[in-house]
Amino acid sequence: MVFAHGFGCDQNMWRLVTPAFETDFCTVLFDYVGAGGSDLSAYDAKKYGSLEGYTEDVIDLARSLGISDGVLVGHSVSAMIGLMVARRAPNLFSTIVLVGPSPCYVDEGDYVGGFSREQIHELLAFLDSNHLGWSEAMAPVIMGNPDRPELGEELTASFCRTDPEIAKHFARVTFLSDSRADLGPVDARVLILQCREDIIAPPGVGTYVHNAVPGSEFVMLDATGHCPHLSAPDATIAAIKAFV
Amino acid sequence: MDFEDLFETAPCGYVLADLDGRLIRVNRTFAGWIGFSPEALHGKRLPDLLTVPGKIFYETHFAPTLRMKGQLNEVALELVASDKRRFPVLVNARESLGVDETWHQVRFAIFLATERRGYERGLLEARDKAQATIVSERADSELREQFIAVLGHDLRNPLASIASGMRMLEKEGLSERGRRVIALMGGSVVRASALIDNVLDFARGRLGGGITLIRNEDEPLEPALRQVVAELRSVAIEQQIIEHYALDEPVVCDHVRVGQLLSNLLGNALTHGAKDQPVRVNATTALGELVIAVSNGGSPIPPAAIEKLFQPFFRGHDRVRQGLGLGLHIASEIARAHGGTLVARSDEIATTFVFTMPLAPREEN
Repeated sequence: MVFAHGFGCDQNMWRLVTPAFETDFCTVLFDYVGAGGSDLSAYDAKKYGSLEGYTEDVIDLARSLGISDGVLVGHSVSAMIGLMVARRAPNLFSTIVLVGPSPCYVDEGDYVGGFSREQIHELLAFLDSNHLGWSEAMAPVIMGNPDRPELGEELTASFCRTDPEIAKHFARVTFLSDSRADLGPVDARVLILQCREDIIAPPGVGTYVHNAVPGSEFVMLDATGHCPHLSAPDATIAAIKAFV
Repeated sequence: MDFEDLFETAPCGYVLADLDGRLIRVNRTFAGWIGFSPEALHGKRLPDLLTVPGKIFYETHFAPTLRMKGQLNEVALELVASDKRRFPVLVNARESLGVDETWHQVRFAIFLATERRGYERGLLEARDKAQATIVSERADSELREQFIAVLGHDLRNPLASIASGMRMLEKEGLSERGRRVIALMGGSVVRASALIDNVLDFARGRLGGGITLIRNEDEPLEPALRQVVAELRSVAIEQQIIEHYALDEPVVCDHVRVGQLLSNLLGNALTHGAKDQPVRVNATTALGELVIAVSNGGSPIPPAAIEKLFQPFFRGHDRVRQGLGLGLHIASEIARAHGGTLVARSDEIATTFVFTMPLAPREEN
């Protein structure tokens, strides 16, 4: 059972969810190249200039681990990467769980992604001015967090930090991607987890994905925001358990 | 202490929210900025009061990081007021236990940062501009150096043709005047070749190649130096050159390069020295070092100019005979490549350039 994180964070996002599956599954967590504890020097702006590069990596990872008949849980942009993996390499995963999927964040014609192209460009400029929110180099002195003793000092300092330039590039690739053509029937069983209140991937977009992937199952979570695995971990676990 | 007043009119915005970011209470300072009545704020979440990029950043990075770490500081966001005005702010956030000790609450401290954000934007723009300038400058200068390298290389061929043509003419049995003209032309060819060598070395150095050495320890150095002196003597017939050699120990160096160094120093002395005084060349080995000194008479070099002598394209105030100003620079680079030094001294009596290098390369590490 492989968990793939989305834009803005790293594999630690799953820490409230994965323990619930450790008894029944062999769980695999990873950071995309450019995120979390990955080797930032391996970041190739050309390869990761589209979701294809990330898709290849997930396929390579699954193959090298000898996964077959597996479960792939993908959050946000990884939901679309998950569908692309299912299409390119159907023998690896028999179950795909999409958490807050959006095939296209930009409004286009009748399609309502939730954002205009200008707003996404504004986001990229915004990320440029928020280096402090990302930069590893600017991480404050490592200090314990008395409220979260389980995190340890190192994780407290490094959580969701990466190179700001990479974060910006990943944002560009994520939010300007249009994967609507990658929807459609897949061999794997597909579960869609939708948050009731999510501006990044609004319910209308989740329904769009549901309609475009025949046979997919759609579950509306009573959760707010874009990260139900953090804001509503119990409901997220229950929905995934019921499906797998 | 009136804590109610301390909360309400603090010089920063206070926002209390639940774990989903839904507003529970805001202070009067914050409400004043944002311009919404308490009723209008009811049910709203903090991201609802942000610009679109702020909302995306909040949902994808801010909220998850806050949830995991329990706190987050100095996040730059923009609030959108009821009249659509934007307030650049810095936000510190901390999750904390609620009054009943069972659930967590988020507390935000929000600081207006209009000027600071403007300043930071200015810095960012300046950085981007500087980076763009560097990239284009670098491309320009590389093109220029490549052009010089190609030009220098291509100039060698016609020069070689001229030299071989002159050798053929010499065999024709020329008049006295003809032989003198050929000798003068020969001198020009030697000078032009030296200039081209210097230009090529300089361009290569700029292109990252640096000066490469082919060290020779079997052949004696003296004949190579004598040949350089003889070549220049044939060109500067009127001037006296006094040579002295005491090379008793073998020197591990690049003979061609050290010859080029001597040629540059000697050429410089012949050009700038007083014509009625001899130029002296001294080459000795002593105390584990090779020392080559070239000195000439004439007016001294001003101290201010001495510091700049070895910079590329430096030319003194002697406007009569101008080279490119690369000879001394290349000579100092050759000295450096050998682990040695080249220094200049100048007074009323003489101007002297001294090249010193170890007899054998020092062991690295």
